[in-house]
Amino acid sequence: MINFDNSATSFPKPASVARAVSEAVSRFGGNPGRGGHRISGEAAQKVFEVRSQAAEMFGAQVENVAFTQNCTYALNMAIKGIMQSGGHIIISDYEHNAVARPVYALWKMRGVRFSVAKVSDDDDETAANFRELIEKDTKAVVCTLASNVTGRILPYKKIAALCKEHNICFIGDGAQACGVLDVTLADGLDILCTAGHKALYGPTGTGLLISNGRFELSTIIEGGTGTASAQLEQTGTMPERLESGTLGTVGIIGLGEGLRFVRRKTPKAIYAHEMRLCEQFAQLLAQNKRVKIYEPDVRRVPVVAFNIGDMYSEKAAQMLSQKGFALRGGLQCAALAHRTLGTLQQGVVRFSPSVFNEKAQVSALARAIYTMKE
Amino acid sequence: MKKTLIAMTSITYAMKAKKLLGSLGFYCEIEKTPKNTGSGCGYSIRVKSHPAVITARLDEYGIPYKNVIQTE
Repeated sequence: MINFDNSATSFPKPASVARAVSEAVSRFGGNPGRGGHRISGEAAQKVFEVRSQAAEMFGAQVENVAFTQNCTYALNMAIKGIMQSGGHIIISDYEHNAVARPVYALWKMRGVRFSVAKVSDDDDETAANFRELIEKDTKAVVCTLASNVTGRILPYKKIAALCKEHNICFIGDGAQACGVLDVTLADGLDILCTAGHKALYGPTGTGLLISNGRFELSTIIEGGTGTASAQLEQTGTMPERLESGTLGTVGIIGLGEGLRFVRRKTPKAIYAHEMRLCEQFAQLLAQNKRVKIYEPDVRRVPVVAFNIGDMYSEKAAQMLSQKGFALRGGLQCAALAHRTLGTLQQGVVRFSPSVFNEKAQVSALARAIYTMKE
Repeated sequence: MKKTLIAMTSITYAMKAKKLLGSLGFYCEIEKTPKNTGSGCGYSIRVKSHPAVITARLDEYGIPYKNVIQTE
């Protein structure tokens, strides 16, 4: 099967990631930060090395890099950590449920008010739309850096500048951007949340919450951190404050090799390769009159969202699966974005290549689509 | 022989301190803080240089620590 569903999780992984995971299981089995013995110390050292790599890549201090289970956990920790005492929050109309649902839950359970900013084709207009929604008690703005449905890149640097001007915490969802764009905190992000298992090529079960330290986060999970154990109060020291319980050392060590892989190839080169495949795919689809591509002309990360006639996208994805191609149909967990696109009923089929895909695979997929009948 | 420990606030800061001090040419090893210093388990860095020299470096680079411990 050829995988074009890398926006969900990249597969295959680099061989170096698989080797690192295997080595982690067999050699680094200690509980990092929990003991004074060599086994614990070696695991802690490996975790620190990965933390340092992530800090270098995203322009953070090492202590402000927290490991999470995935991007959704990171976003929940960031959003609820800032909004725990109430207030107002702004999100974009392209958000994934990883943002929309925690915000909705805060509204329902804690009375947090929220506004949804419209994203326009004009970046200045988009920033202005966010500006108009700022209220006296707006505490946070959350926005995806790139849509997981169409790949559209949001003007996050402009939105970040706006947040800085108003001393509002800017939380970026980098799940689709990190690894293909050169994202760093220097772009103006206060908190960057991302997945480790997508374009950073780590194993599933890995994510990152990276902060610039400007805003202290309340915790949504408390427990053992290996420090200050005599106190009932959760430690205030980052990153342990956000890392209660035993870390997923095996996944983290694998993520370290994923980060090394991406940094060696560079996000710019990976982006260029994957965009070439997207352009090839879009050109081939353009010859098929039944196919509609969504937002083909926006600045985007390597994703192509399309539909085949009126065929329900899940059905199309299922038919493609039977032909040996893995693509994602439906709503991609982003109902808000689909409402914006007008595709709530049909959904879209999402093509998302990885660095391992090749042109011949894309041609084969386009041929398969051409022969599909409702 | 007495040894000098500097109790750190976390394993991450202990490792950051070790990396920094190593790059500056100082000896530094991480070990568990040997006795309860009031806040439970934790990590220290063991150093050979005068602790004031080390803590000055930690201050300079913004690495927090708890206290200096002289122990057997």
